[in-house]
Amino acid sequence: MKIFMKAGFILLFLLAAAGGIFASGKTESKPLNFALSGNPDTLDPQGTSGTLTFQVDKSIYDTLTEPNEKGVIVPALAESWDVSKNSLVWTFHLRKGVKFHNGDPLTSADVKATFERIVDKKTGSPNKKAFDVIKSIETPDDLTVVFTLGKPYAPFLASISSGWGAILPKSLIDTGHDFASEPVGTGPYKMTEWVRDSKIVLTKNNDYWMKGYPKINQIIMNIIPESSVQIQGLLSGQLDIVYMVSKDNVPLLQKSPDITLTKNLTSLIMVMAINCSRPPFNNVKVRQALNYAIDKQKVLDTAYSGGKVIGTFMDYGNAYYKDFTSLYPYNPEKAKQLLKEAGVGKDTVIKMYLPQNYPPHVKAGEMYQDMLSKVGLNVKIQMVDWSTWISDVYRGSKFDLTVIGHTGKLDPNGTLSGYGKGKYVQWYNDEAASLIEKAAETMGYKKRKAIYDKVLGIMAEQVPFVYVGSSYRTSGIRKNVTGFRMTPNLDTFDFRWTEFK
Amino acid sequence: MKLFLFILKRFFRLVLTILIISTIIFFVIRVIPGDPALVVAGIDASNAEIQAIRVKLGTDVPVAVQYVRWMKKLVRFDFGTSLISNQPVMTLIKQRFPLTFSLALLGIFLGILIAIPLGVLSAVHRWSLWDYFGMVYSQLGMAIPSFWLGIILLLLFSVKFPIFPLFGSGSIKNLFLPAIALGFARAAVILRLTRASMVDELSKEYIITARAKGLTEKMIHYKHALKNALIPVVTVTGIQFGYMLGGAIIIEQVFSLPGLGRLFLFAIYQRDFPLIQGGVVFIAVIFSFTNFLVDMFYSFLNPKIRIS
Repeated sequence: MKIFMKAGFILLFLLAAAGGIFASGKTESKPLNFALSGNPDTLDPQGTSGTLTFQVDKSIYDTLTEPNEKGVIVPALAESWDVSKNSLVWTFHLRKGVKFHNGDPLTSADVKATFERIVDKKTGSPNKKAFDVIKSIETPDDLTVVFTLGKPYAPFLASISSGWGAILPKSLIDTGHDFASEPVGTGPYKMTEWVRDSKIVLTKNNDYWMKGYPKINQIIMNIIPESSVQIQGLLSGQLDIVYMVSKDNVPLLQKSPDITLTKNLTSLIMVMAINCSRPPFNNVKVRQALNYAIDKQKVLDTAYSGGKVIGTFMDYGNAYYKDFTSLYPYNPEKAKQLLKEAGVGKDTVIKMYLPQNYPPHVKAGEMYQDMLSKVGLNVKIQMVDWSTWISDVYRGSKFDLTVIGHTGKLDPNGTLSGYGKGKYVQWYNDEAASLIEKAAETMGYKKRKAIYDKVLGIMAEQVPFVYVGSSYRTSGIRKNVTGFRMTPNLDTFDFRWTEFK
Repeated sequence: MKLFLFILKRFFRLVLTILIISTIIFFVIRVIPGDPALVVAGIDASNAEIQAIRVKLGTDVPVAVQYVRWMKKLVRFDFGTSLISNQPVMTLIKQRFPLTFSLALLGIFLGILIAIPLGVLSAVHRWSLWDYFGMVYSQLGMAIPSFWLGIILLLLFSVKFPIFPLFGSGSIKNLFLPAIALGFARAAVILRLTRASMVDELSKEYIITARAKGLTEKMIHYKHALKNALIPVVTVTGIQFGYMLGGAIIIEQVFSLPGLGRLFLFAIYQRDFPLIQGGVVFIAVIFSFTNFLVDMFYSFLNPKIRIS
């Protein structure tokens, strides 16, 4: 007993001491506290497909060109670029006086080494194919890089502008530096601390090439998995920005006078994917019936944070989007009729696989099940974890129906490439497939748009998916913080213009 | 000499246990669906890219070869490298272990601090106010889920009365609330057991003898009965400590703590084979070691229990 009491006193004393340290306030300029809902697996921009990595890397690295806030590609590390008449030779003129965080000046050799690293098999980059089209890279002088492509490839500039086009320093590439845990780039912030699963500290790069930017000295990305903790942190001022607020938490934040809620359309394509090789879905009538049976707006409003309904496989805000929503409006009667014609009833058991780590998709899946049962279909739900989803459902096509959101891409080729030749929906359409390939080799918005219109038309009619829509994203930001941007189509955080009022 | 033999025996048992469970876990995680290369690759990668990733991760070779490679490393106490973060598994565990260990220790300590005194009081003063309080507490403790208690504690002591930080790690202040959330339920179990065991001891004949000898009630309760009553309590507390390392997963999630629980949870989600294997082996060692300590503690409580 005595031992316990003694230990108890010691403990209380320790806590009191700790509390005392806590009371001392800091006077230096305030860091920006940002909530990140997960820990990035790696910070090597070439080593992953994970969005979290690119969201953090956006502040650490630069690309030659980048999308501005309207999604238009503008100069970044390259001041300008020219394309040869045959669209095969791309020349980039680098900005002068740019320095890496380790002090190395940026030269054309760094650019060459960067792209040679990503196409090297040993790097094992999931984005290698975006650069396989490069035949050679030449560096006529320190500030000029010339890419020669094997064939005309319209998405090239988009690939260069995406997160995986980040420029790394040659000197560290040569020594086999561990970019996964110690990123070194030219970006507006240097990574100064990373406590895995706890926080990532970014400190201002005073030599940043954009004069006068960034504004804030330090950004602390607090890794907080629990959304209610993020919300409470924002309300109490311990956090400045929560970039994704779930629908349930919106009313709570609306009541606070200290918080601004912003609502943006994401570039996500929310779908219910249909396995077109499996009966009864090999019959286009059944797939059409599914599209008639779903009240898309209701799903967007209930499961996702609202959004815009789409009628084909392209995000609503995309320059290549075309409206096909009138093709299959919500019409359960029509759905029943089509199912009757196809002879599909309650005795056909349909299995819907839901990724359990994405609660909105699970919620949407439950709504689809309900709506489909109203037109007389028998849908069974099977929950799977993400690894199983990606291996069995996506790669293995072992599903009847599944629910997912496809992330936006800077170039429509990124969204459409591979469709018509199977993909996970097992949809085969030679015309669509060859048009998609043709569009990738065609230059100029107008010419490409004409081809993509046809592709999207075929996909809208043949419905390998139930296209649902592009959802909204609500961000919660403290009133004294301005200028927080999200990069369009890439969904990365851009803190360069962020400041405290 | 006997102690030495005992430790040696225990050590061999531990090696055997690890060999068996590591083999089981090795094959189990490869039988269940999910491929780490696909987790890295994401949904846009081509087959060639996936194959290159498999080569890089070393998952392209047959499972038997992977098993031999892993065993070769394991005997040299090398757990290999995480497939996802590319860090040595041992480094990752070393980074995370102090936090989870302190959390479990503080949790069990707070649990004991509540449970044993309350359990003894309940047993000594049966059907008193103490006893009723103990009963209500243990009912609540077992019924309340720890993550819910965690969130309530956060709302109360980090939001309403901001005494403790809402998130972050690195100081003991970050551990206090999660330790309460963890210890609360554990205390309920220990409390019930302490009470039952104490009541049982107090009805034994040697207590009557002690009373007949004229010993004070205090002497009887604490010197004689408690010491004997604690033996089953120690066993259960030892096991509870092991469970706490597991229970920490949810609590670490709620309190944004970078501990072992989250490390292993994500390792499973992402099919990070070497990290899962290393984690299981590590937890097994901790469990065996705790059991060993519990056994040692018995002989301290009651010298009659010989090490054999």
